[in-house]
Amino acid sequence: MLETQELTKHFKGLRAVNNINLKVDEKEIVGVIGPNGSGKTTFFNLLTGFLKPTYGKVLFQGKDITAKRPDTIAELGVTRTFQLDRLFHDFTVLQNVAIASRLHARIGFWESIFHTPQYHKKFEQTWDHAMKILQFVGLADKKDELARNLAHGHQKMLGVAIGLAADPKIVLLDEPCAGMNPKEIDTALELIGKIRASGKSVILIEHNMKAIMNVCDRMIVLNFGTEIARGTPDQIQNNKDVIQAYLGVEKHAA
Amino acid sequence: MKLGKISGYIVFVIILFLLPIFLTSSEYYLHVFILCGINVILAISLRAITTTGQISLGHAGFMSIGAYTSAILAMKAGVPVYGALILGALAAMAVAAIIAFPITRVRTVYLAMLTMFFGTLISLIFTEWRGLTGGTSGLMGIPQLGTISIPGLINIEFATKLPYSYFILVLALIVILFLYAIDRSYLGMTFKSIAQDEFLAASIGTNIANHKAIIFCIGCFFAGLAGSFYAHYNSVLTPDTFGLFPSLYIMVYVIVGGGKRFAGAIIGAIVLTILPEAFRVVKEYQPFVFVAVLFIVIFALRGGLVTLPDVIKAQIKKIHRRKAENA
Repeated sequence: MLETQELTKHFKGLRAVNNINLKVDEKEIVGVIGPNGSGKTTFFNLLTGFLKPTYGKVLFQGKDITAKRPDTIAELGVTRTFQLDRLFHDFTVLQNVAIASRLHARIGFWESIFHTPQYHKKFEQTWDHAMKILQFVGLADKKDELARNLAHGHQKMLGVAIGLAADPKIVLLDEPCAGMNPKEIDTALELIGKIRASGKSVILIEHNMKAIMNVCDRMIVLNFGTEIARGTPDQIQNNKDVIQAYLGVEKHAA
Repeated sequence: MKLGKISGYIVFVIILFLLPIFLTSSEYYLHVFILCGINVILAISLRAITTTGQISLGHAGFMSIGAYTSAILAMKAGVPVYGALILGALAAMAVAAIIAFPITRVRTVYLAMLTMFFGTLISLIFTEWRGLTGGTSGLMGIPQLGTISIPGLINIEFATKLPYSYFILVLALIVILFLYAIDRSYLGMTFKSIAQDEFLAASIGTNIANHKAIIFCIGCFFAGLAGSFYAHYNSVLTPDTFGLFPSLYIMVYVIVGGGKRFAGAIIGAIVLTILPEAFRVVKEYQPFVFVAVLFIVIFALRGGLVTLPDVIKAQIKKIHRRKAENA
């Protein structure tokens, strides 16, 4: 469904992402792991149009979406969440998701200005849709709180809700479990399973090894922007290169 | 909206409509009333632009496009004044649409510089295009608004300042209602989401540049409208009316009134139109009045004058609590 071909990004000579070929099928959960600074988030930025690749292609459902604008890519059905708690902090939880439902809502410009009957109908549908998403991620009881006042775990969940509100076909989650306690991680993993069950694919960046091993079908390991391993969680766990990348090499190469 | 709130607004509007009658004793008071109306339109249209996180330090430039277009069309092309009024506003919007491309692609200090540059450039063009605009000596004898008459019912001649007061009052109320409708709609929410986090807004499918361009054009349309009205009201136009300082003043209206709330810009424009008039005897020092008020707001009332009732309420509560603790 989503495919990259030789995807490469250079930052002034630094190869942040180097020659990545990845294919994600429908209803698949693919993990992307690697040490800090290994280019995982840059990879996400390339997929969603926030950065333009130096070389290579991104295909979605066979269509070339390389270097298209983020909003166009979202409209096609690829959305993402952010590592930092990027939220509309001055909005309530429900408003956050309602505004994120804009691709679902499709409220036109003139409708919005003149408040036509069509507008009121769509407006209500949008709010219903937002409420459904909040129930899906388990934030329904927090709907009237300001986003800035939420606890960290709930902010993370709201970030996922925002990513889901546009009805994407594939959602890219950037460290959804970062800074969560074990109980919250369990809820988050359960949610990722539910996202797949609802017919979407997921690409997941995560530092919590236990979490990612439990939930992924396949994974790819990056180090210095280059792929060093790929396979099922079991294969990755026993891979020598991966262990070296995380724990360091015994003898330093010159 | 609650019924009490609506009736409150209605009473307020009735008072506004009665106000010019009480001011008829002095031409000068009516003049200040009309200036308030013009400045309110300028301030809320600029405030609308700021809801997306943009700023413009060239708003008076767009006002001048409306003013000159309308004046020249009415004087030299024989266009009926009311038609020229609308065409002036449309001209301002058209120029805004053209420069929207660079403007929606920069932020912060670069945006401030770019809009400032465009605003100054526009007034420079009007100064130098002597054949059309009369250069620094300006245009004189711009036709007044035409008589509005429905036979047997009303017959309004724009001979004194009183009908102008009512015209600008109605115009300002229409602009306020229009921009309020946008502000409270899904579109208005989208603008505010862009101001909070552009990257997040883009990631959920918002076309950032389009939205910024739309509100920039709408804002400049109303700036042009205010300019067109000003030209026909004042009947004399000189380019120094629309330089850099007037642009900065409009931004100050928004900041002093409080841009976060819809009513803020309106309050800022009215207060800062009336207050400097009290210092008319020392006209050269009027900018200092602005700076003084701006200082007070920035350091003591960050949310603007519109938050003053809330701040006072909070203070009273604090005092009460302290008393209760001491007792």
